[in-house]
Amino acid sequence: MKRCQSSAIFLVLLSGLVIGIASADLTQSQAPVTGKVFVSGTTFDPGVFFTGDKGTVTYVVTNSNTNTSVMLNHGTFSDADFQLLSGTYDYSNTLGPLQTRPFSFSIIANAPPGDYYPVFSLSFYDSNLYHPSLVRIDNTPIQLTVIDKPDAFAPGKKKTLYLQVANPRDNTVDTAMLEVSGAGITANPSKVFIGEVAAGAKIPVNVSITPDEETTLHLLLTYNNGNNPHETSLDLPITFGIDKKQADPVMSNIQVTSTGATVHVTGDVTNAGLETANAVMVTALPPAVPEDPYKTYVVQALKPDDFGSFEITFSTNGIATSIPVQVSFKDSDGNVYTSVQNVTVPGGMTAAVKSNGPPVVPIAAALVIVAIFVGGWFLYLRKKKQ
Amino acid sequence: MIRSFTDILINPGAFFAEMAGEQEERLTRPLIIILAGGVVAAIYGYLVGGATAQMMAGAMPGLDAIITISTTIGALIGVFIFWLVWTAVIFALSMLFKGQGSFKRTLQVIGYGYLPQVIGTVISIIVAFEYVPKIVVPHITSAMMQDPVAIQEATKALMQDPAMMEMTQIISIISIVFLLWSANIWIFGLQKARNLSPRNAALCVGIPVIAYILYLIYNLGAV
Repeated sequence: MKRCQSSAIFLVLLSGLVIGIASADLTQSQAPVTGKVFVSGTTFDPGVFFTGDKGTVTYVVTNSNTNTSVMLNHGTFSDADFQLLSGTYDYSNTLGPLQTRPFSFSIIANAPPGDYYPVFSLSFYDSNLYHPSLVRIDNTPIQLTVIDKPDAFAPGKKKTLYLQVANPRDNTVDTAMLEVSGAGITANPSKVFIGEVAAGAKIPVNVSITPDEETTLHLLLTYNNGNNPHETSLDLPITFGIDKKQADPVMSNIQVTSTGATVHVTGDVTNAGLETANAVMVTALPPAVPEDPYKTYVVQALKPDDFGSFEITFSTNGIATSIPVQVSFKDSDGNVYTSVQNVTVPGGMTAAVKSNGPPVVPIAAALVIVAIFVGGWFLYLRKKKQ
Repeated sequence: MIRSFTDILINPGAFFAEMAGEQEERLTRPLIIILAGGVVAAIYGYLVGGATAQMMAGAMPGLDAIITISTTIGALIGVFIFWLVWTAVIFALSMLFKGQGSFKRTLQVIGYGYLPQVIGTVISIIVAFEYVPKIVVPHITSAMMQDPVAIQEATKALMQDPAMMEMTQIISIISIVFLLWSANIWIFGLQKARNLSPRNAALCVGIPVIAYILYLIYNLGAV
């Protein structure tokens, strides 16, 4: 009996040994195979999420074995900060030697800005693959900045705003579009399609606006981060005033001469402003009537501190003491500016002479002469009569 | 023997006393004097009328030329008309004092007596040469021709120009002096030509001359 028990124990141990040896042989043969299956690529779209952005993540699994297929089971994405919107890969699939297979998941970023490491896991028949990868959530928006703008605006005058769209993010955004609006504002263009803005890139955008009233200019920049629309806005107050840098043509060295019925005015126009005055023209205003040959004199463009000579001809009504002479010029946007300077004309000088009453000296002299003459004859006749 | 022109100026009594002895009433020399007066008056008219022409040049093309020509010719003819009219006035006044003598003789006397005014006009020309370039002339445009007030204002501006006013005053004094000089000659001449007493001759000449001078003085004050 005791020998029977011993034999039974021996058989059990033997069978266990055989089974153990067999099992040990299988594990040792499969481990090199699954170890050569790895995640060869991870792609997040968008590359950097805003909080609340939806996107996709794609893992590419590669079987680097040259002659052995592997069975893939249950591919899934898991992370507490990213909600999985799509399902998991629950079916079995064979990945052939040197083949790759993508596993894509739709996700939504619910976490605040920061770096996160969601995990992709894939099960083989005897083991699991866990693959954490870095993804960032960054809420830094695209920057819309004003590079240069006029010191002041004028009603009905077109001015140019020099803007810049810059992307401080680490990923590219696309479909960027700038929309310009505001009450009483005519913008040209009112919409600017910018398109893709690469990470770290800056794109200049120029917009011309013509305000009819003092108002607020709304600049709205829309763009897509992946498929998620975002926007950045900028409000600019539009106030009317005098542009400190504006061109300022000033007349000097005025010479007025009269030839017949025509008054000739010559002089210089100097640009005392800080911007170029284009198409500078000089002409006389009513009551003067511009006459040939120089009804209007075109001085052409004047750079700051530059000057040009002019000559205008006109006739006057003979009464006016001064004639308004207008200098007009255009800025770089084509707006016409005018300034008026009065010029004293010869006709006006005579009219300006005020009567100081009758000339006493000549009248007295005339009367004295007449008195001497009459008196002389009176004495002569009296003397002759005697 | 007819005395020289100098006698007319400085000794008109003797000049006309000698001329009274002549039977023939020749107008050649008075006509020469009047013609000379007309020529110098035309030159003066050209100078002073030029300012007016300049003022009106813009009103109508060619108007300045018309004004210049009309003032020049007008001055030339005007002297002859003045000669006739002035003779007629004095002749008529002398009739009130029962003057006796032909109109032609009076015409002769007035013609001789115009000699000082020729000299006076020459002096006026010299003055005008000095002052006319200084006159600032207003301009009347064609548009202003529709506005009488504007024309009046422009004319007033011309007359009130300092150079114009000064020139007018000087020339007026010159005219008065030389007119009185002429009057002196006319008084002596009229005594002989119309057989008048010195007193009556002085009244016949003096009344229109003084009246004319008063008119000149009035104009001086009105400017």
